[in-house]
Amino acid sequence: MAYRVLIVDDSPAMRTFVRRVIELSGFELSDCFEASDGWQALDVLRAEWVDAILTDINMPGMDGQEFLRRLAEDELLRSIPAIVISTDATAHRIASMVSLGARGYVTKPFLPETLRTELERTLGVPCV
Amino acid sequence: MSEALFQQALRDSVDEVLEKMFFVEALGESPDSASAEGEPPAAVAVELTFDGDPPGSLTLWVTSAAARPIAADFLGCDEEAVSDRQMEEVVCELANMICGSLLSRVESATTFHLAAPRIVPPAASRATGRDTSFCAVDLSNGTLTVAVTTGTPTCPEPAQSAS
Repeated sequence: MAYRVLIVDDSPAMRTFVRRVIELSGFELSDCFEASDGWQALDVLRAEWVDAILTDINMPGMDGQEFLRRLAEDELLRSIPAIVISTDATAHRIASMVSLGARGYVTKPFLPETLRTELERTLGVPCV
Repeated sequence: MSEALFQQALRDSVDEVLEKMFFVEALGESPDSASAEGEPPAAVAVELTFDGDPPGSLTLWVTSAAARPIAADFLGCDEEAVSDRQMEEVVCELANMICGSLLSRVESATTFHLAAPRIVPPAASRATGRDTSFCAVDLSNGTLTVAVTTGTPTCPEPAQSAS
């Protein structure tokens, strides 16, 4: 089964990198959507169903924390697993994002297999 | 944290980010060309400030010869296909990741916040000072230098003891 993923990051370079790493990792990706902040991500989600969301925290416009709050308030969208990708590896930041509804957290820098493992874990993909 | 431990954390952060995210190996420590006297080599320079305990700023220089291949590796394309804007975006992302990695090592008990990185003129961004730590490494095509300046810690006033 191949999955549809939304990448939310204000850096176009980072979005390109994350997409490339997902592909390099061997994760089965069918469609990849991109948004530069939470507002744009919500627009994408109104038009497209995705299986997982990868989101940055610090973004101009709507940041990752507010984006997670909005997802949690939406009866339909709250079921989509969101994984935070951030440079902040402090325990309290991770706990804070999990409390807002993040199902996974990947700290930069990361290896391709780390991202794949986190995606597969949150999607419940059986290990082979 | 001692100066030596901070310096080691900075070096570890530079090495880890280059290796994991940019597929680049630091070849060894380099003379600090960014703060040396005289005309600095052509470079892309980025500065970002951070709030935390302590607050401060990080400045990163990558010589022009190294910046483009780093961007190409990050984006997964040929060097010729990398625009100047993309190169600057990637160097901003490099600075952002090194700063976040460093602060996660040295400020693990506090919340920190990184401002958006911004491109600055290389010559005008030479950081010096007593509270500045440097890390300069040789890459296969040039040099990368990071300078981190920390300010006064913003610790809360100690609570009055009940006596």
